[in-house]
Amino acid sequence: MIMLFNIAYQFGDALSFLLLSAIGLAVIFGMMKIINLAHGEFITVGAYGTVISGKVLHLPLPIAMAVGVLVTILFGLILEKLIIRHLYGRPLDSVVATWGISLIVSQSFLVIFGPSYEGLQTPMGNFKLGDYSYSEYRIFLIFFSIALLALLYILFMKTSFGALARATIEKPEIASSMGVNVKNVYSVTFAIGAGLAGVTGALYAPTMTIVPSIGQAFIVSAFITVVTAGASPFIGLVPAAAFLSTVQTSVTFFYKATIGIIALLFSVIIIIRFLPKGFSGLISKEK
Amino acid sequence: MKLNIKKNKLAIIIFLILGVVPFFLDSYYLNNISYFMCWSFISLGLAVIWGMGGVLSFGQTAFFGLAGYSFSVISINFLGVAGVGIWSPILALLVTGLFGLVVGYFLFYGGIYDVFIGIVTLAITIVFETFMQQTAGPEYTIGLARLNGFNGMQGMPTIGFQDLKFGLVEGITQYYFILFIAAIILLSLYKFKNSKTGLIFFATKENRDRVASLGHNVQRVQLMAFVIASMLAGLSGILYTNWGGYITPSSMGLVSAALPVVWVAASGKKDFLSVFVGTVFLVWLSQTLAINGAQFAIITMGLILVIATIFFPDGIILMLKNKLIKKFKWLQS
Repeated sequence: MIMLFNIAYQFGDALSFLLLSAIGLAVIFGMMKIINLAHGEFITVGAYGTVISGKVLHLPLPIAMAVGVLVTILFGLILEKLIIRHLYGRPLDSVVATWGISLIVSQSFLVIFGPSYEGLQTPMGNFKLGDYSYSEYRIFLIFFSIALLALLYILFMKTSFGALARATIEKPEIASSMGVNVKNVYSVTFAIGAGLAGVTGALYAPTMTIVPSIGQAFIVSAFITVVTAGASPFIGLVPAAAFLSTVQTSVTFFYKATIGIIALLFSVIIIIRFLPKGFSGLISKEK
Repeated sequence: MKLNIKKNKLAIIIFLILGVVPFFLDSYYLNNISYFMCWSFISLGLAVIWGMGGVLSFGQTAFFGLAGYSFSVISINFLGVAGVGIWSPILALLVTGLFGLVVGYFLFYGGIYDVFIGIVTLAITIVFETFMQQTAGPEYTIGLARLNGFNGMQGMPTIGFQDLKFGLVEGITQYYFILFIAAIILLSLYKFKNSKTGLIFFATKENRDRVASLGHNVQRVQLMAFVIASMLAGLSGILYTNWGGYITPSSMGLVSAALPVVWVAASGKKDFLSVFVGTVFLVWLSQTLAINGAQFAIITMGLILVIATIFFPDGIILMLKNKLIKKFKWLQS
């Protein structure tokens, strides 16, 4: 029983990590077909925003987190206006440009804040079950990540804003001729993606060492999950993350964490060999 | 290989200049130029797949690192065996090419395209880095060679340029060796670009389906170009390892992986000569800026990448080259 709970806990922890690392990337990719290589840096901005407003301004954690997310949204909006806007319709170029942004931002953080920053304490407590101790916060993250994804699905698939955003991105000219402000829709969508990366940074800020490369810890998981999820991430993200965390947990259980990451990579390469459209292609069966 | 002097005046002038500089420089500067030229091959490889074929690989440094590590492991294990300085780099290059073949097979025959290729290759190189970083323990030993984790491998026997000095400046053999390889590679790439396979590969950039419907095997051509690119990245890795006598996991990380993309994008991905010149220039620039801290060099590279992508999608060096040719009409082909 305890063994079973232990496995479920490890699985849930891996699942929420994959989901939360991928979520911002998935929105920007799924909606705008841009792979945002500065995704890791958005997470970094969220984490630093949270830690600084917690440590320096002494805000309570939930408010500090909200500040971190707001800072990331603002940061995303500015970048969209300055750089990304010029690159719509040039998907490969936009990927390359976001990589440039990633270099600039991560190294600027190193220059401004130094190689490491004093972190926050993990909130909530621990509880013991048998010989093992579990973090309540990590369990909260599992439920939070799934709720967040459900919320996003509703936002983009069930609301009129979602319909507007999807229609605009599918056929910008027609949307424009119907009186839609295309530029604003792009900005808002990008800002949502950035904000979600900020949420990831804010949520994991109290659990990690705060270093300028903190966002890079998420980036491989994020890419792997989005690639496995396929073209429409809202449908594919959960099965992809569930599959990948099964692989990762079982490999890590028998070997060790680094081998778990390598196993992830191999399973992704094999999956896209047989399911080029990822899990969302398997589910929606559309061409 | 026949050299068309009329068509490549600029390339010939550049190589002639590079050919005589050793007589005017001391060994410090000469070794530096050798170092800058070491990096040109990984860029040229990227120019092949990205500039010609529109396949953007973000993980060329995985091949760079694999080649560097293979070279180290092989040459440490077979130290003292006859001619190890000659065949260990070749063997390392073959290992890299084989790895490129396997990765390329899964990419192209798996129907992965566009940004996904970039993401998968980037993931490969980062995972490689992560794996090598934790190989500090004695259990990670291949034969006699310790992989040495985060600190990387060093003290591997080198190709052996030191023994041949011809009574000249130190490092001159290495310099001419790298220059000679660069000339050969550039010539071969021009030849590949104009060959039938090269043209088919070039066409796949515009429309894969149409090329396939004309009866060409798109996947095979793309795979071939990918293997060429991976071996060129490997060549850089071997020459780099040989130059400095070390290879570290960080040479495969996210930042390192971005640099070849910066060099190629800023130079002009469609022109091999521009990529060669641009890489040498930008590596020099990074090195000069890094005197005040590596961060500033990387921030500058990031800025160059963003500016080049938005304002000079064809590349800054290529633009300058075209201006130069316009001004000096006799350079024209």
